[in-house]
Amino acid sequence: MSPSGGAVLGRVRRLRPADFGIVWVTVALFVLLSQTSDVFLTAVNLRNVLDQQALLLIAGSALTLTLISGHFDISVSASHINAAIVTALIANESGSAVAAIAGGVAIGAAFGLLNGVVVAWVRINSFIATLATSFVFYGVGFLLSDRSIIRIADRGFSEVARGRSAGVTNATWIAVAVVVVCWVLLERTRFGRHVFAAGGNPEAARLAGVRVQGIVLATFLLSGAAAGLSGALSASKTLTAQPSDDFSFVFAVLTAVIVGGTSIAGGEGAVWRTVFGAFFTAFMLNGFNLHQIDPIVQRLIQGSVILVAVAADNWTRRRRSA
Amino acid sequence: MGRIAPATPQTHVELRGVTKRFGGTVALDRVDLAVRAGTVHALVGENGAGKSTAGKILAGVLTPDAGQVVLHGAETVFRSPRAALDRGITMVAQELSLVPSRSVLENVFLGIESRRGPFVRGGAERFAELVAECGIEADPDATVGRMPVAEQQNVEILRALARRAELIVMDEPTARLTSEQAVALRRTVRSLAERGVTVVYVSHFLDEVLAVADDVTILRDGRAIRSGPAAAETRRSLIEGIVGRAIEAAFPPRRPRELPAPVVLRVQGLSRAGSFEEVGFDVRAGEIVTLAGLVGSGRSEVLRCIFGRDRATAGSMTLAGEPHAPRSPRRAIRDGVAMVPESRKADGLLPRRSVRENVTLPHLGRFVAPGGFVRTGGERAAAGRVTEAVGLTGATIASAMAELSGGNQQKSLFARWLVGRPRLFLADEPTRGVDVGAKRGIYDVLAGLAGEGMAVLVVSSELEEVLGLAHRILVMRGGRLVGELDGAEATRTEVMELAFGAAA
Repeated sequence: MSPSGGAVLGRVRRLRPADFGIVWVTVALFVLLSQTSDVFLTAVNLRNVLDQQALLLIAGSALTLTLISGHFDISVSASHINAAIVTALIANESGSAVAAIAGGVAIGAAFGLLNGVVVAWVRINSFIATLATSFVFYGVGFLLSDRSIIRIADRGFSEVARGRSAGVTNATWIAVAVVVVCWVLLERTRFGRHVFAAGGNPEAARLAGVRVQGIVLATFLLSGAAAGLSGALSASKTLTAQPSDDFSFVFAVLTAVIVGGTSIAGGEGAVWRTVFGAFFTAFMLNGFNLHQIDPIVQRLIQGSVILVAVAADNWTRRRRSA
Repeated sequence: MGRIAPATPQTHVELRGVTKRFGGTVALDRVDLAVRAGTVHALVGENGAGKSTAGKILAGVLTPDAGQVVLHGAETVFRSPRAALDRGITMVAQELSLVPSRSVLENVFLGIESRRGPFVRGGAERFAELVAECGIEADPDATVGRMPVAEQQNVEILRALARRAELIVMDEPTARLTSEQAVALRRTVRSLAERGVTVVYVSHFLDEVLAVADDVTILRDGRAIRSGPAAAETRRSLIEGIVGRAIEAAFPPRRPRELPAPVVLRVQGLSRAGSFEEVGFDVRAGEIVTLAGLVGSGRSEVLRCIFGRDRATAGSMTLAGEPHAPRSPRRAIRDGVAMVPESRKADGLLPRRSVRENVTLPHLGRFVAPGGFVRTGGERAAAGRVTEAVGLTGATIASAMAELSGGNQQKSLFARWLVGRPRLFLADEPTRGVDVGAKRGIYDVLAGLAGEGMAVLVVSSELEEVLGLAHRILVMRGGRLVGELDGAEATRTEVMELAFGAAA
């Protein structure tokens, strides 16, 4: 920018179309599928897509904050699985749906707290730290469940996630609430500002008086609790919980966050991006099914899309810093 | 464009009309310089005079934007440091480039290992030969990272010699050495020259230069002022050459202090092991004090302690009469200390965020409603007010920080602290990487802060700044406070003599 005349301090930030790539491609995919499939643009199909993405959106909105603060949380899968187990155990033990869900959230939060301490104070690289704690948590899951599938006896417990209001499942409503909370936290509060600062330039943040370690801890606590909530809801949805050491949930969540355009380098991103990232991948998978695309080809396309998304992110970043 | 005498047969390498720019700053401006084969040629100058840049161009680490590098009488373009290496040129940089976790032997032969098929051979004999040849002792099996810096430097030199280097460029080789180690290094350098190796020796230690060099080139503001035999120079003549001109940069008038003003910061016997010792001074309200000295003399480290980035190991400080021993920058800020760091990129800016967010970050608490929500109305108003106060021009508070010019970025970092009302304002190299126009703006801001009754402490390597801004000048050398001068009366030579440790 060249200095011109006096100080012109405007208010409106210039919006660049290039910043909204994920919105354009999601809309384009939506239009494409509406045109090519009779089933896609039906209330039933769209409600299903929403319900399927609910758990991913819950975990992904919170994980977005962790990524913006400059860290990875691979243990989202492990927290998710453990929360389902704890929820199922409490549901069978006490019969209280509230206690069961709270228990799932609590174990996720506890795991998140541990991750936060290990990353922020012990200063282990977050990717490695949460990979390691994942294995610990998976072990805990096998111990808690005694290595077997837990079935929830009370069939009514499925209403927590599957019950409907205004034609949409409770899980979807809860996801909307979590998205809004994370969005507001990030964009409107001091905490959100500090998350951006901690991820964008931790030393500068520290020198400006930001408690960087506390902020990082809080984002891990959040992503753990959200993963716990998603696990608790999955127990309600399926009325079962099964121990495993499967990382697929966290990778699906990370894919949504990253395809949405939140930077893996930290300091940049948004919850709405994760929402679009989740719907873009959901529409893609839905389109595959509706068009009966070979599952092998699906994988090829899915992988390529992630590469393109991250490459585009790098490219715009380099152009802007040039 | 001036042209020096044609290369004599014994000229090893030459710069002809070399210009080098970094962004908007001209680091070298049409520099001519010839290095004779088998001699030690020193490059001296102030911080930022271009001596390191000239060394790097001679070593093929940087390429000139204009002009030629002439090696053995033929114009040469080095596409990479590797290409320079192949021509027998190597550099021992200020930051050593060794692999700390590996042994001396591996480091010395890194990239030129002798092999049998795909397997690396021991190299012990080859190492012994090398040591015998040049007389630099080193344990081949020692792990480099566990050795003292001086020995690591020897490993770098061995590495250069193992590559049959004919020309070695050393950039501030003694900056991190003790005086005994420096003497030993000097002997090594002399013996290299006796064996026909050409050494380009970049240093701001004038005694050292006079002791070791055959020829000296003085650089000032990116220009080669003069070259000649070291025997014809004295410390005084070198300082005069380095300092050169009179102060001409524009400074705001020095506001008279209202004495006796209260002491805001008092530092007593402050030490930090390995950085500085027994430093004591006062800064009063409404006063600008500059802390001068060479890079590495401990100036920035003192600021770090005052701001709570480091803890002092001895001594005490008071801030407005209260004991001041901040455990973190956060505490220091709470107590009314503000700091503009030396490296705005690394320590100051959130490049992707808006000017508004950058400016309000330390004082965001002032705009927070219950529940942690930021009241953006009040925040915008404050951001607008402080950015205007520092004369941020041509940008909006909604612009991303990365889009601003260096000068505007720096002004934003000043604006940041005006949201609060600091008592003590610290600035480390406040005009680094800022163009001339914006410099004056920053000087005005500093003078304005003092005018409002803040105590201002500035670390600067630019003499004009040190002299032009200060009510009082403190000079540090080798971790100690070595003198105090009156800002209005001090001369460049006085400051330089204190900084270089020259006997007046």
